[in-house]
Amino acid sequence: MRGADYVLKRLVFAVLTVFIAVTINFALFRLAPGSAVTNLARVPHATPQTRLALKRQFGLDKSKFQQYVIYLQQLAHGNLGISFANSQPVSANLRTALINTIPMVFLGTLFAIVLGTITGIISAWRRGTKAEGASIVTALTFYSMPTHWLGLMLVILFAGVLPTGGMSNEFLINPSFTTHVRDLAEHIALPALTLGLVLYGEYTLIVRSAMLETLGEDYVLTARAKGLKPWAVLRRHALRNAMLPITTLIALSLGYIVAGAILIETVFSWPGIGRAVYDAVLQRDYPMLQGAFLVLTISVVFFNLIADLLYFRLDPRITE
Amino acid sequence: MTKWLAVLATAILAVGLVGYATKASGSGANAKAGGTFRMGTSSRIDSLNPYVAFNQDAYNTFEYVYPFLVQYDKTNSKFVSDFATSWKPTDGGKTWTFKTRSGAKWTDGQPLTAKDAAWTITTDLKYAAGGAANAAGLVAHIKSAKAPNANTLVVRYSKAPGNVLGQFQQLAILPQHIWSQHTGNKGTNLKTFSNNPLVGAGPFKLVKFKKDDIALFQRNGSFYGEKPKADAFGLQMFSNEDALVAALKAHQIDAIEAVPGTAIKTLKNAGFNVRSTAGVDQTDFIINSNAKKSGHRELLNLKVKAAMAHAIDRKQIVRVVFLGYARPASSIVPAATGAWANPAVKPESFNLALANKLLDQAGFKKGSDGIRVAGGHKMAYDVITPTDVPSTNRTFQILQPDFKKIGIQLRQRSLDSTAAFDAITTPDNRYLKFDLALWDWVGLIDPDFMLSVVTCAQYGGWSDSGFCDKGYDAMYSQQQLTPNQAKRKALVWKMQRYLQAKRPYIWLAAQDAVWAVSKNWGGLVASPQGPFNSINKLSLSRVHQQ
Amino acid sequence: MSVAVRQPGPVIESEPIRSRRGIVWQTIKQRPSATIGAGILLVVVVCAVLAPWIAPYDPHEQVGPVFGHPSWKHPLGLDDGGIDMVSLLMWGCRISLVVGFAATFVSMVIGGTVGVAAGYFGGRTDNVLMRITDYFLVIPDVPLMIIVAAIWGPSLFHIVIVIGILLWTSTARVIRAQVKSVRERVYVKRARALGAGHSRVILRHVLPQVAPLLIANTVLTIAVAIFDETALAFLGLGDPSRISLGKVIENAFQRAAISTGAWWAIVPPGALVAVIILGCSLLGGAIEDALNPRLRVAHLSARSFKLRPLVGRGPEAV
Repeated sequence: MRGADYVLKRLVFAVLTVFIAVTINFALFRLAPGSAVTNLARVPHATPQTRLALKRQFGLDKSKFQQYVIYLQQLAHGNLGISFANSQPVSANLRTALINTIPMVFLGTLFAIVLGTITGIISAWRRGTKAEGASIVTALTFYSMPTHWLGLMLVILFAGVLPTGGMSNEFLINPSFTTHVRDLAEHIALPALTLGLVLYGEYTLIVRSAMLETLGEDYVLTARAKGLKPWAVLRRHALRNAMLPITTLIALSLGYIVAGAILIETVFSWPGIGRAVYDAVLQRDYPMLQGAFLVLTISVVFFNLIADLLYFRLDPRITE
Repeated sequence: MTKWLAVLATAILAVGLVGYATKASGSGANAKAGGTFRMGTSSRIDSLNPYVAFNQDAYNTFEYVYPFLVQYDKTNSKFVSDFATSWKPTDGGKTWTFKTRSGAKWTDGQPLTAKDAAWTITTDLKYAAGGAANAAGLVAHIKSAKAPNANTLVVRYSKAPGNVLGQFQQLAILPQHIWSQHTGNKGTNLKTFSNNPLVGAGPFKLVKFKKDDIALFQRNGSFYGEKPKADAFGLQMFSNEDALVAALKAHQIDAIEAVPGTAIKTLKNAGFNVRSTAGVDQTDFIINSNAKKSGHRELLNLKVKAAMAHAIDRKQIVRVVFLGYARPASSIVPAATGAWANPAVKPESFNLALANKLLDQAGFKKGSDGIRVAGGHKMAYDVITPTDVPSTNRTFQILQPDFKKIGIQLRQRSLDSTAAFDAITTPDNRYLKFDLALWDWVGLIDPDFMLSVVTCAQYGGWSDSGFCDKGYDAMYSQQQLTPNQAKRKALVWKMQRYLQAKRPYIWLAAQDAVWAVSKNWGGLVASPQGPFNSINKLSLSRVHQQ
Repeated sequence: MSVAVRQPGPVIESEPIRSRRGIVWQTIKQRPSATIGAGILLVVVVCAVLAPWIAPYDPHEQVGPVFGHPSWKHPLGLDDGGIDMVSLLMWGCRISLVVGFAATFVSMVIGGTVGVAAGYFGGRTDNVLMRITDYFLVIPDVPLMIIVAAIWGPSLFHIVIVIGILLWTSTARVIRAQVKSVRERVYVKRARALGAGHSRVILRHVLPQVAPLLIANTVLTIAVAIFDETALAFLGLGDPSRISLGKVIENAFQRAAISTGAWWAIVPPGALVAVIILGCSLLGGAIEDALNPRLRVAHLSARSFKLRPLVGRGPEAV
């Protein structure tokens, strides 16, 4: 069947991509000058045996090919290895980091979608008026701001009003539920706001063009001629038409945003996956890097796959 | 799980809450008798496992949660008791007998005795080449460690060392009943043990640890020594200094352990107590001193090194890079370590005319572009700078024009610290290729460590200068094995003069330790490592609300 | 002989091009957003080029205290080295623009070649090239840039290459779709039938049709390249011996500018970057719009949160 064929093809491709990515990443990290041993052997009481012991411990004394095979074997068992930096399982480190990043990214994306949809609708509906120009220009302006700079601007703006770093006030001992919730909200507000502001422009443009296209269609004219109120027309036809590109956009951006949050996490001291990757690079923590890249690649491939399938499914006008 | 639900529940609210005017709540709502002292840092505790940890903040933490045999006194010059109450060297210094406290307990209720100390030392010896490599240097020259009874520890050395107490001041005693379960796999399991929850026996006990986020400690009621005045203290880790300073200003934290120079005035104006004292963090200009290096051998010429030393404007560096909160440095042993620093070793004068004269005398003439020529090539060199030492950028910008005036061209090669160290040691830890570098060293109080970094044995380890000199190595071993402290000091002073003549390093500036505290707290003890340090247990034990 | 052939599937309908420069120039003249965008870019480029002559102070010279306040002599104050901010901004533009243009050039060359080859030759070549493109698309590029910059060392040249090799994918896809549709045009088929070689057809017939889209894509890529340079500099991976706008922001951030109250060290450089990127986005977006109002390209698609452009419909899309 044509549909199943397509899905299968995409699935196979997805798995292949991940595998290739894993292999290339493995090779790439080991091209780096210096290694984890270089770093870790510089401890205040090192002896020459330290380096040898470390090398042996991390399996860095084996040939690169052997290391690769071992890595694949472990991967097949779901074992992502042990971080060089803190000797804890990579999966545990990644899990903590992801759990920290995802709520922030989720909120930011949500905000972007909501704001983008609203401004997109306004600019399409009020085509040719000042409102259209204003919303587009504002959207583009926010989009053009460097993410970290916008974050710093918000820090300046809200200094003293909202906390400028961390995920929560860790010094609250046994807070009540409402205090705890309010504390979390205060801390997540600025990072999510930053993310939302730089992202919403894309949604605005997409919603706007989808709406413009729909609003120009015959059936909309017919609907209006029949006396349907503008809002009903909007809701029934135009928005639904915009849903397709929006959904695919969301699916695609989610895959990448987790990686892109690194700038925000640096500004707001957010202990998430972005910072984890950055630290892992500096420390040449290969297992962490491989693990993080694997997770990120899988999420990107996965969401791309979803987007492909959604598009295939939802767009009635596609022909193979 | 609660956190997930909470966050989801506030997803809608969050949008509306943006800009909600509220002051960040602090410990005000939870005031106990002693209070919680909240400190902020832009560094972090990288691991709770002493066999894995690398960052200074981790070592500072160990100081407060583990028993050590001795600690430094308030002046950082004498050793006073921690877990050991008295000590006696015998047999010419080859045997040391420590008397330890009775009735001490670990935080899980188990008894803390000299047997734990003996076990720690023995384990470190056994796995010195493997899992316990971090502590290997601390147990150097030890033959055996035994506890004939619960209050006595007898340590036997193969040769009488000169820094026994200095070494034990850094060796954390670990609970045998916990760690003996993790010596499997020929000791490598020592490193994979997460050590959380942490069973210790210091003035504080660790109650919460979130990597890169927070470490919370509570007063340990069963501590054998001076009990802390505060109920608890917390170390909050920030990823950048701006957030750190902003958090202090907003009273989310009570103190910062290292204040960036540019924020000092702002904090003073905002009503915080900002204190500074001479520190042990020194920036240095490294010249590849490997006699076997392949190219640019003119850099081995002592006259060239001296000329470079006279082309460095230390006052300018102190002013611009450190905003005045530093002092010109001259010796591998920082002046802030007190008696160990040789006062006769002074910084060279900033004298471009003299530098030019020295280079002329060395026979390196200036070319038509003003750059001198040596051995058929221009005197143009790469200076490796690590990106995680931020002062190196501005320092380089001060050096570059001055060096041009004496006919040497400098180019900056900025790499992250791993790649930088690799570029210095390449190829294969033989130090053949690099010419110059900028870095910094954080000294301890006992000079042994700093003196060791320029020994031949540290090739591929701590050495970043390629310096390898038999005469120096001989002096180094000798001072390590000189029990007579006066004799040892004389040797250490001699070594510093020796190094200034040979110049593997040109020392630039010793950064002051600068910290800031809210006016609601007092009692922190000053120290060249800052108030939160691995030197003694005094600071956080004495801090109190006022 | 200008027949616009309507194809089912990819819907990039281009009216036959009067002249390549025609569309771009016309757009700039007619659409206000394009005019503003082009204007901004012109001013910035001129400023950057003339910086050595019009900058009031030397960007390496300390002329006052660290984080000196804005004054009549120094309208934007001094940075963390006591250097005049206005001069820093002018000189900073230079490096930022150089990186932007150079990286974009690298990306254009790669992306254009891949796109044209894939679109024109189709079949196996297309498949292979698209798989390679897809691999590059799924790489988390900010982490990869960090790694390469950390490994390779942050010199200007390395940064340009790093950014360039990660940006070409969106260009490749857009060009490929356009080339595919052009290839089906009657006059191209006729040229082939008459025995014209591949290269001749590509150079004479395909490229001119593709050029305006390429230009639009170039402008948008410049925006992303400048953003990426800022991001890399912020993470400490910029070339420390050059002043770029990203470096200016990073210096201020490293030295706690905000909590010290020295907003003038951070706000202007970022605002300038935003203005440049805005200019590029306006100009590039307007050209794309003019080429085909029905082209539902997510303009902002090449951002570091990389996205595949929603070009047309069908399996090539998304």
